Amino acid sequence: MKTYETTIIFDPGLEEARINEEVDRVSQSIAQASGEIVEVQRWGKRKLAYNIRKRRDGTYIHIKHKSPPELIGEMDRRFRLNEGVLRHLTVLAVKESPRAAEEAARTAEGAVAPAGAAPVTAAAPAAHVAHEEKD
Amino acid sequence: MAREGESRSFRRKFCKLCFDKVERIDYKDDRRLTRFITDRGKIVPRRISGTCARHQSQITEAVKRARILALLPFTSEQYR
Repeated sequence: MKTYETTIIFDPGLEEARINEEVDRVSQSIAQASGEIVEVQRWGKRKLAYNIRKRRDGTYIHIKHKSPPELIGEMDRRFRLNEGVLRHLTVLAVKESPRAAEEAARTAEGAVAPAGAAPVTAAAPAAHVAHEEKD
Repeated sequence: MAREGESRSFRRKFCKLCFDKVERIDYKDDRRLTRFITDRGKIVPRRISGTCARHQSQITEAVKRARILALLPFTSEQYR
């Protein structure tokens, strides 16, 4: 069982109920394959960077799930056949490294981390300008 | 005989992502990624941005994924 991240872009014309139905269907297929849903994010309607099938917007759904690898091909096939899906992408989720977790814990603690982070944001734009001048 | 371009002040480039101690670049983070593409939508090469090899390859992968999801453009339409 591997952890995947699947993002689906639905046609903006679909109603909320229809999208929920589609998401349920995906969840069911994962559950049936003895997988597990970790998280479902709804990004809502977003503007697309370029038109897909003449649509300018799309409704984004992001699902993090644990699934057997065999299911991914089947999922891909179903999304392709589904007219309501403008685009989809499944990638392996990155394992959270111990260092990243540590960092998150430190920023959560506050006090020390924001003080250290402040000069970073201040210095970065200045450096950026310097590079632009060079080229 | 220094050409005009060479008289500019030399300043060592550094990897901004290392400076910020970025561990992972996420393809969903399109706000951050827009800093590494040109106005035409191309990925900014390392020699320009000064990004280190490790972060550049992460950027490349993330930008390509973001393009598939229409979070970033493959090309800017106004130049067509």
